Amino acid sequence: MILIEAGDAGQRGFEAKLLFAAQLAARGHDAVIDERTLPPDFDRGSRYEAAPYLRDLSGAPMHQLVIVGAEAMADTVLGRLRQTGLVPDASVWLIGRFESRQALISAQSKVAYVIGREPQVIDLAVLQPNDLPGANGPVVAVGRPQDGDGAGGTESLVVFLGTETLEDPTVEPTLMALEHLPDLRLTVVVPGRARDHLKALRFGSLRVVGLSDLTPAAFAQLARFAVIYGAEPTGSRIAAMAADVIVSGGIVIDCTKDATLAGSSAPVLRGPQHLAALANYVRHTVVPNRVEILRQTARSPWTEARRVEVLEQLMGLEAPETTRPARAGRILFLPTNGSGLGHARRSTLIAREMQPGAHETVFAAFPSCMPMIRAAGHDCLPLVSKSRVHGADHANDLVNYMRLRRALKEGDRLVFDGGYVFDSIHRTILEKRLEATWIRRGLWQAGQITPAALHREGTFAQVIVPEEAFSELNTDLSFGRHVRKVGPIVGERTGRDAAATRSILRERLGREFGELVVTMLGGGVAADRTAQMQLLSALLERRKDCLHLILIWPGSTVPPALYGWKNTLVCQTRNAPDYAAAADLVVTAAGYNSFHEVLYHGLPAIFVPQMAGFMDDQDRRARAASDRGLAVTVAPEDLLLLEREATAFLDGGKGTELRGALAATNLPGPGNKAAAALLAAEDWR
Amino acid sequence: MRAPLRIAYVLDPRFPGGTSSAVAAELKVAVRFGRVTVHAVESRMFRGRTVAPVLDDAFDDLGIEPVWDAPVISADIVLLHNPAFLKFQTTLPARIVCRHIYVIAHENFKRPGGEEGFDVATTLAQIDRSTLALEKVIAPISRVNRDTVDNWIARRSGFETWSVLPDDWFNICSFSLNPPTAAPADRRGRYSRPGFEKFPPLDAMEQMFSPQAERNLILGSDSLIARGVVRPHWTLMPYRGIELERFYEMVDFLVYYTSPAWREGFGRVLAECMAAGLVVITDPGTASSFGRGAIGVRPEEVDAVVARHVERRELYLRQVQAGQEALASFSAERFARRFDEICARAQRKIAS
Repeated sequence: MILIEAGDAGQRGFEAKLLFAAQLAARGHDAVIDERTLPPDFDRGSRYEAAPYLRDLSGAPMHQLVIVGAEAMADTVLGRLRQTGLVPDASVWLIGRFESRQALISAQSKVAYVIGREPQVIDLAVLQPNDLPGANGPVVAVGRPQDGDGAGGTESLVVFLGTETLEDPTVEPTLMALEHLPDLRLTVVVPGRARDHLKALRFGSLRVVGLSDLTPAAFAQLARFAVIYGAEPTGSRIAAMAADVIVSGGIVIDCTKDATLAGSSAPVLRGPQHLAALANYVRHTVVPNRVEILRQTARSPWTEARRVEVLEQLMGLEAPETTRPARAGRILFLPTNGSGLGHARRSTLIAREMQPGAHETVFAAFPSCMPMIRAAGHDCLPLVSKSRVHGADHANDLVNYMRLRRALKEGDRLVFDGGYVFDSIHRTILEKRLEATWIRRGLWQAGQITPAALHREGTFAQVIVPEEAFSELNTDLSFGRHVRKVGPIVGERTGRDAAATRSILRERLGREFGELVVTMLGGGVAADRTAQMQLLSALLERRKDCLHLILIWPGSTVPPALYGWKNTLVCQTRNAPDYAAAADLVVTAAGYNSFHEVLYHGLPAIFVPQMAGFMDDQDRRARAASDRGLAVTVAPEDLLLLEREATAFLDGGKGTELRGALAATNLPGPGNKAAAALLAAEDWR
Repeated sequence: MRAPLRIAYVLDPRFPGGTSSAVAAELKVAVRFGRVTVHAVESRMFRGRTVAPVLDDAFDDLGIEPVWDAPVISADIVLLHNPAFLKFQTTLPARIVCRHIYVIAHENFKRPGGEEGFDVATTLAQIDRSTLALEKVIAPISRVNRDTVDNWIARRSGFETWSVLPDDWFNICSFSLNPPTAAPADRRGRYSRPGFEKFPPLDAMEQMFSPQAERNLILGSDSLIARGVVRPHWTLMPYRGIELERFYEMVDFLVYYTSPAWREGFGRVLAECMAAGLVVITDPGTASSFGRGAIGVRPEEVDAVVARHVERRELYLRQVQAGQEALASFSAERFARRFDEICARAQRKIAS
C-alpha cells in the first residue's frame, strides 16, 4: 500500500495526489489516499474519481509514503504526517518542484522532523523542467491505447472548451456542424454549468461531458487528438490529460488565445483559435503529417520524462504482477428498477435467448430485482438503491460505481436497460473502455425522456429499442445507425395448460372453485392499490365459486387486511404468467411486460394503469389495447367502473369476447431472439 | 595610544529563539573590549517579524543603535551570528571589510541523519563574496555543533580559505542559580517553541511522559493541541502558556527530546533548567554539550532514571549540583577571557 499525500492541505493538493494515485494505480500499485483528507467542498464528479483510492487509515501501518507538491508543506499536513503509522523501515519520498536547494532542504527537513527519519527527494525542477502551465505535482502518464485510431476513416477528437469560448455565439452552430462530419467523432468537454446547457441542445452522436465527469486518463483514452480551447482549462487536470495523450501516442493541439500549452517545451501543436477552422486544420494539416508529428513527439525528451516508469524507477517501485487469473470476457446486464421489475424481467428474457459464447452473462441489479434474476439462473452483483438516510443523493451511485469498476475489465460488455444513465454506468463504460448497449423501450411519459436524459447516448455503441405491440406507441427518441429496433420482448409461458394449472391450485389450496380471477397490481411500490384490491376482494367474496389470487413477487408486501377475505388469497410467486393464463379475468397494471404478456398470451384483462412520474405512459398503452377492443381500461379512481367491468367479465361473457378478439389480432413477432442476436454480435457498431 | 578595537556584529535581530538571548548576553561582554556596532540585516527569513525583545532591551541597556542594511560594514573584527538567516536569499546586501570575520554557527550544519540542516554552501558563499578579510573563521557553539561543521567542511571544496575556531563559541549562561527542591517527586515537564523539529514522535513522547509520572507538563504543545492529541496523564499548554518561573515550580525534571531528525545547536533551554534547579534528562547527543550536567538516555529509559532520582534524594541533589557546576564553563567571565584572546590576537595582527 502506497499512501499518497500532498504538501498543500487544500483542494489543489488533493487533486494533485488524486492524479498521481491514479497513475500509480494504472500501473498496478495499491495507491491510497487518507479519506479524512477529502475536501468537504469537492465537487460531485471528483468524488467519483477519488472514491477508488480513499481508505480509512486509522491505525493502519504504512510501508510507503509519497508526498507530492512537497515544495509547499502545510503545517496541517505535517501535523497529520506526525500521526501516520509508518513502519520503521518505511520508504518515504518527497516529489516537488523546488525553486532552490534551500527550498528542497526545508521541505525535506520539515518532513524528517515529523516522521523521525530522512525522506528521499525527487526534484521535478531537474527531472521535468519547463512543465505545462497549471501542473500541480508530478505530471506523469501511463501510455494507453486510444480509441478512434483512424480505423474506418474516423478520427476521435476531444475538444476542451472554456466558459469564455462558449460565450462566442458561433461556437454552438460550429459544434452542430462538426457533429455531422463523418470522419470526425467528437467529444466536447466543458465546465459543469456549460455542460447542462449544451446537453439540452439535443446533439446526436456528439458527446458532451463535464471537465470533472471523467478522469484525465479516461479523456486521454478517448482522444486521438486533444484540442484545448479557451483560457480556462489550464489546470492540473488539463496538464495531466495532455501528458497522458502525448505519452499514449496522441496529439495535443493548443488553440488557446495565449498559447499556454504550446508555449511550454511540451510537444504540443499550435492550432487555430477559431473552432470553425478546426476541422480543416485537423483534416488537412495534422492528419497528413501525423506520422512525422508522432515521431517527433515520441523522440521528445519531454515525453520520455513524463512516463510514470521514470518515477517508478527512481523510487524503486516495482509494478506488481497481477496474480489474479485471467477470466473470460463478461457481458453484464444492468437493469434499473422502476416501480416494478420490468427492466430486469426484460433483460432476463433477452439473456435467456443468448447462446453460450465468448462472454459470460452476469447481472448487476438493485435488491428488489435480484431474486428474479437469480431465479432465472444468473449471477447478480447487488447494487445499492438510493435512500433518504444516505448523506448525499449520489452516495448509492458512488458505491455502485466502485462495484461496477471492480466487476468489469477492459473488453467486457455492458447492457443497460433503463431510462437514465447514472454516473456510475457512464464512467465505468468510458474508463473501462467497455462496449455498451442501451436497451430503451420506446414509450415514455411526456417530458420524461428529455434531450438532457439522452445526452449520454453517445457513450453507447448501440441502442436497442424493444418496440411496443402497437405502432402509435413507438416514439423515436433518437436516430441513426446505432438505433436498432426489435419486436416486443415477451415472456413465454411454461407450456402448462389452464386446466392443469387449475388442478394444481385445487390440490395445493385444498378447495374447489369454478372461476379464477388474478390480480397483479404490484406490491404498492409505485402507488397504493389497496382500494382496488379491497374492492375486488369484496366483490369476489360474494361469489361462492370464485378464487381470487392476488399475485405479488416474493418479498413484496400487501396490506394485511387483504388476508381477511375467504375467497381471496395473497400469493407470492415467480410464475405469475401461468396463473394469469388460467384465469377468467386478469386485473393488472399496464407495464411493458405484463401488457405484452396479456396480448401475446391472449388473456382477458382489465388494465388499471399506474402513473407514477418515473414510469412509462401506462394509460396510453392500456388505452391502445382497449380502443382496439382487446382489453378494458379502468382508471385507478374509477372504482365503480372497475366493479361493473369485473362483473361483466365474470357474468356477461366479456372475457370470452376478448379472448376471441385477441386470437384474431395480428401482433408483431416477439423481439427476444433479435435482441439477443444483436448482443451476441462480435461488433456492436 | 592605540585606537579602540572596532567590533561589528552582523545579524538579523528578529530571530525569536535562544540565539537572540545568546547574542544579547554576549554584547554585554563585548562592549568591554572595543567600540561595538550592530549591523542589522533585514533577511528574507524573518520577513514581517519584529526585533527580538531580549535584543531590543540589550541595545537600550548598552546605548547601541543598530544600523539597518548598511551597504558597507567596516571593522577590525566582524562577528556574524547565525549565518542561516541568509538561507532564503542568494546575496548578502553589504560589503564587509575587516581583519577577521567570525561566523558563529548556531544552527547545526548537518542534521542527525547526515542531511544538511540548511543550504550552507549558498549561505557561506554569500558571506565569502561580500567579505574582504585577512581571516575567515567558522565558530561552532558546542561540541554537537562543531561535529556538524567539521563534517560538512571536510566534504566540501571551495571553502578552503575558511578555518574552524578550535574552541567553542559557547552561549553565555549567566543565570541566577536556584536550589533544588527538598522533596523531589515524579513531576516532569518540557518547554520549547511549538515547531515540529522540537518534538519527538508521539510514541517516544508517550514513553518519556508516561502514566507513571505524577505530572507531565508539556509547554509549547500547540501542534499537539491543534491535532486533538489527548492523553489523560498529560497537561498540554501552548507556547508561553505560563511564565517560566511557574513552570520551574511545577516540575522537578526537565525531559527534553527533539525530533530525531534535528538537534539543538547548544541547548539553551537545558542550561536554563539546570540553573532553575531541575534535573535535566535528554538524548545522549544533546547531553554531551553539558558534560555530566545533563543525563543522556533513550526515551524508554526515562521512567527508570526518574524513579531512581525520586527514590534517592541525594542522587537528585547531586545531579542538580552537577548541572549547575557545568554552567560554570558557560559563564560570562569565561567568555570574556576567550574574547580577550580573540581581541588580543587581532591587535597583534594590527601591530605586526
